[in-house]
This record gives sequence, structure tokens and C-alpha cells, in this order.
Amino acid sequence: MELQQQGDPPRAAAEPTGEVVTLREFMASDADAEAFMSWASDPLVALFQRRDAFEHVGQARRYIFDHVLPHPWYRAICVGSGSGSGSGSGAAVVVGSISVKPAPAEADGRLFMASVGYRVARAQWGRGVATRAVRAAAEDVFAAWPWLRRLEAVADVENPASQRVLEKAGFVREGVLRKYIVLKGRPRDMVMFSLVDTDRVAGGR
Amino acid sequence: MMAWASDPVATAFMTWDAYTSRDALLAFIRDTVLPHPWFRAVCLAAGAGEVSGEVPVGAVSVTPTDDRCRAELGVVVARAHWGKGVATAALKRTVAAVFADLDGVERVEALVDVDNAASRRALEKAGFQREAVLRSYCVVKGRLRDMVIYSFISSDPLLD
Repeated sequence: MELQQQGDPPRAAAEPTGEVVTLREFMASDADAEAFMSWASDPLVALFQRRDAFEHVGQARRYIFDHVLPHPWYRAICVGSGSGSGSGSGAAVVVGSISVKPAPAEADGRLFMASVGYRVARAQWGRGVATRAVRAAAEDVFAAWPWLRRLEAVADVENPASQRVLEKAGFVREGVLRKYIVLKGRPRDMVMFSLVDTDRVAGGR
Repeated sequence: MMAWASDPVATAFMTWDAYTSRDALLAFIRDTVLPHPWFRAVCLAAGAGEVSGEVPVGAVSVTPTDDRCRAELGVVVARAHWGKGVATAALKRTVAAVFADLDGVERVEALVDVDNAASRRALEKAGFQREAVLRSYCVVKGRLRDMVIYSFISSDPLLD
């Protein structure tokens, strides 16, 4: 499996109107840890996640170091121009994160499936940010991982906004899986979505 | 067990290949079956006039996943006993017992090849709900297959 290389240019998702949404790798920096808190400390965002909301920035710093940096594919979602480094190089702001996790290999070592998850700060909801980020992430991983045949995502049955993100990003709704995942101690019904390699528009890579 | 585990027809829809050696099957029993949290032989009761003693004609297993509430079911029946409702009966007995046996499990799910009509019927007759077709979901015998996912929830009604 190939990893995104450090120093790749930010991946831009083109939209006819609206601010540009780009994806970039996280850094082990105070700025990124603080940006992380804008969604990670929000109980409303954390509602549909396994993880509880963070309470102090040290947790975000540790999470970036222990989980984000070693992750096979984890990106900051940036809105605006520039690289979102917050040090005068542009107006881009980190507003969320998106990650793609390959499923465990089959007994014969074969990989073919991965799952995508995303979180966006509440102030940025309702503007198509997550949709554009998911589209960009799907383009990136299908290009970077030639073995990838199925990209899947689940959304809580009580999270229609997230279901719409996936539909608008071109995923196919497959069905409701009952008591599929334990969130915050309770088994939840989840809607399963997928994008398979044959769904993708010819020439859309 | 060799009766069904070595049969390419009975194992056509399995993600594992038919066993060709008794030693390999014994290793499977030792390494996977005996330590497994829920693995059962499916037996037919001895009929009238037969020597008592139950002979396994298949196997059913329920394997917990990384998610505490969810376990995956697999069932196989020797070909000589197909078409007699053996799988359906095994499934009914499984869902009646497994939620009490496996702590925290509230969902038992089964993945079935879209072309495996007999297994789909057995699950439906045992009260499983068909939830979705998961596309490009499993590699079976070298081919990527769409799978139908069925589930039985701890609160679902048990069918007689």
C-alpha cells in the first residue's frame, strides 16, 4: 500500500462556486492541535463518533501524534486558499479531518476494501465542505491504491446530514444494518454506503 | 467433518478452499474449532431402528467481530443432506441460543453470495432479515463477489 508523501501539493476539489476545499497532511504542531479542537471538543460532532469529545488541547496533541501521524491515510480538511498552516501563507483554515482506513487483508494477503470517516467543525456545516472533502479523498485513494475496489462509509440512521454528504459525493446507499456498531455504549443502526471502482466516471481519476 | 469440508460443491460459496488432507482438517479442528467461542456440529438424531448416536452432517459457527455487539455466522451442510431443512433448523437453534452464550452480542449477521439461493432461503425461513447487497464485498475462490447481508437481532422473534 502506498502512502501519501510529505510535500505533495494540497489536493484541490474544484467547485464552480464557493471556497476551495483542499486536503493536506496534519503536522505535529500547536496550530494543528488547536485547529483539531474546533471539531474534536464539540459534543455535537462527537455524538456520532466512538470517541468522546476532547476537553483540552493536550488530548488533541496526543491524538495527532499517536493516531493521526502513523495512520495510513489521514488528512486535514482546509477551506480557502493557501495551505492552512495559519502562519501568514494564505487564508486557508483547517475545519475538519477525513481518514481512510484499509480493511484488514484477506488470509492470502489481498487488500481490496477501505472505509472513510470524516468530521467537520459545526461552524462549517451546511456549506458542502464534507461533500467536497469526501469526493477529493475518494479520488485520491482510488488513484494512490490500485488494489482498492470498494470504499465504504457508514452513517448513523439518525444523522441524515451525513447520509446526504455521502449521497452527494456519489456513494450508493446499500441499506440499514441494524445494531451494527457500538457508539457511546449503545449498539446503533447504521446506513451503509459504498463507492466501488466501477461506479467512478470514466476519466474521473 | 471431512464429508462436507472436502466437497467443492458444499464449499463453493465459502471463502475457504475445500480440504484435501485429513491432517489439515485435524489442525483446523485443533486450532480453530476447539478454542472457538461458538462452534457447533449440526447433527441429525438417530432414526427408528438405527444405532443411537448423532453423526455430524454440518457445522455452524458464530464469531464475534471487533464490534462487541456484532458476530458473524457461518453454516455448512454436507451435500447428502441438502434440501431437507437441515440448515434452517440449525439456524433456528443457533439464534435461540447464541445471544445468551455470547456476552454483549446483540446482532448476528450472515453474508451470502447473491447467487446462493438455497442459503438465502434458509436464512429467511429462520427469521433473518435481509438488509442490503454489499457490493464487491468478499473474495470467494479468487473472485470479488457482491454479498447479501442478513441479520438476526436479539429482539427479533424466534420462529418455531
